Amino acid sequence: MDIQLGLAGKDFVILLADNQITNSILTIKHDEDKIYKLSEHVVMSVSGEPGDSSNFSEYILGNTVLYNIRNQHELSVDSCAKFTRKELANALRSRSPYQVNYLIGGYNTISQKPALYRIDYLASIAKVEFAAHGYASYFCYSIFDRMKKPDLTQDEALDILAACVNELTRRLVINHSSYTLKLVDSNGVRVINGEELLKRTSAK
Amino acid sequence: MSYNGTAIVAMTGKNCVAIAADKRLGQQFLTVDMDFQKIFPITKKTYVGLPGLATDVQTLYKSNMYRLNEQRDIEPKAFAHMVSSTLYEKRFGPYYIEPIVAGLDKNNNPYICGMDLLGCMDVAHDFIVAGSADENLKGMCENLWEADLEPEDLFETISQALLNAVDRDALSGWGGVVHIITPNEVITRHLKARMD
Amino acid sequence: MDKSILAEIVGDSNTGFKFDNALRNESLTSNGTGAPKATKTGTTIVGLIFKDGVVLGADTRATAGSIVADKNCAKIHYITPNIYCCGAGTAADTEFTTNIISSNLALHQMNSGREPRVATAMTFLKQYLFRYQGHVSAALVLGGVDSTGPHLYTVYPHGSTDKLPFVTMGSGSLAAMATFESKFKPNMERQEAIDLVQEAIESGIFNDLGSGSNVDVCVITKGKVDYLRNYAKPNERISKLKSYKFARGTTGILKESIHKFDIVVESDAMDVV
Repeated sequence: MDIQLGLAGKDFVILLADNQITNSILTIKHDEDKIYKLSEHVVMSVSGEPGDSSNFSEYILGNTVLYNIRNQHELSVDSCAKFTRKELANALRSRSPYQVNYLIGGYNTISQKPALYRIDYLASIAKVEFAAHGYASYFCYSIFDRMKKPDLTQDEALDILAACVNELTRRLVINHSSYTLKLVDSNGVRVINGEELLKRTSAK
Repeated sequence: MSYNGTAIVAMTGKNCVAIAADKRLGQQFLTVDMDFQKIFPITKKTYVGLPGLATDVQTLYKSNMYRLNEQRDIEPKAFAHMVSSTLYEKRFGPYYIEPIVAGLDKNNNPYICGMDLLGCMDVAHDFIVAGSADENLKGMCENLWEADLEPEDLFETISQALLNAVDRDALSGWGGVVHIITPNEVITRHLKARMD
Repeated sequence: MDKSILAEIVGDSNTGFKFDNALRNESLTSNGTGAPKATKTGTTIVGLIFKDGVVLGADTRATAGSIVADKNCAKIHYITPNIYCCGAGTAADTEFTTNIISSNLALHQMNSGREPRVATAMTFLKQYLFRYQGHVSAALVLGGVDSTGPHLYTVYPHGSTDKLPFVTMGSGSLAAMATFESKFKPNMERQEAIDLVQEAIESGIFNDLGSGSNVDVCVITKGKVDYLRNYAKPNERISKLKSYKFARGTTGILKESIHKFDIVVESDAMDVV
């Protein structure tokens, strides 16, 4: 029941993820940050099997950080996404494939463009303007389709995400009390207060 | 074939070939992307369409490209055999892909070839279809295709075959792209299509 | 991490079949995503021995489920200049199995310096197919003329073989065998043999749904092969009386890009002597 949303705007990308870790009918944790910061301009949100997702994500995180240190150069969002896909595709052909879904968003400082990639557990990759995984996708794609427009501003993007959260709160059987939001633009990664978004929701 | 949804078709014309595909990437009944690339250029006059499981489309395309380091253009026939052998190597754990190769050879003769997921080649003189809409496409092509179409006429025929086939397949559509390969140029056109 | 179970058993090898997608595909099947259908030949294939040699025959339909995948495929495969082989079963398997055996016989010929015998081809085939325990589904009719005369074999997917004066295989084998049983006689003339093979294949084409389209015939005699592709076309398509050509501009276009080639007259360095 993980919630994972992503939105690419004019010059930024926002990822949203819930903060819950569950085991069967139990909620284990309410404040987990499921959005990893891979580098100054790349973030990655993850959902799937709990063990797989932390294990594989930390592998990806470790390797991208290592690359950045070794080469004194930041791996671009596009390269991060393709590297993740390749590793996931290789793992897919092994005895224990990882059951994880990813959204990788970031700002490419060279091409000066934001990018959002959606990678599913079968390692299919797609570069998109907006994305969702899991049950949230059934609720949110229609909202994205309705509210998207070219050259989205940050404020408009937050409105869209607020509308999504609003709908999920109303209609999804599981209720999430809090969310993590991370925004990436040319200035780097910024955490947006989840409470702010919930306020937007209730204001609507 | 039916997990991500695809429709790809190739046709021969008079000294030209065309290859066309839809643009949808789905996860069963959820549409994820409406601008997904399924046709890839191999050389300037040879293209390959990879219908099937999206992850295998992306894996197979890469693994094949890396082998083309011979410092010269590969002929479409040779390329098709290479893809075929790559698939048969995985006879007992196949890639879920039914590739289509379309191109002009060094004498500018049209060459189109389809394959099943095990690599069994089907070299045709008329048309080749594959994907979740393959049965629809077969019916369309069987009716619309005729010999010796000029590039512009071939474009209309292949486009109409594709557009009408995907209208009756829930899993494919959402736009279409056509490449017409002639001895002097490749014309790429993105089609106006239904988005449902 | 990326080692399959089979790789652990068989060890890392760069030759032969690779199994690394098998586990993934198994889990895809359990998730409800079925594999695409492989092309089968359906097929009527036959062979008979006549006075001067062997005649092989085949239909030309390939199927994927109930869909006709190819209306005019070639099921008589080259093995050596004096041996040919008809294939039925999974199309990719018949194609690649005959190809591999053809290569091995070519090497065998270079090693031994002798024209390959049909029995050798048969042995290579049965050993290859037995190794895969029927999983390589190729059912074959092997025929040829060598230094010991004309020979005709059937090879089954599990690796067993028969040596007979007239044989049929594939889904249309019963229809074809009925024809052979009633009309075959030893030491037929060439044309008589070809006519009988044609009749047997046509009985498959018309009475078996897995077989269809045209008749391919291959006549092998001492030192000569006549590969009669599409010897008979009993199901020629009636051409359209009018054209379905669309008026140019019918299809709506969103955007267009044209990639023009620089026409360079290529000269091959090897040509300059």
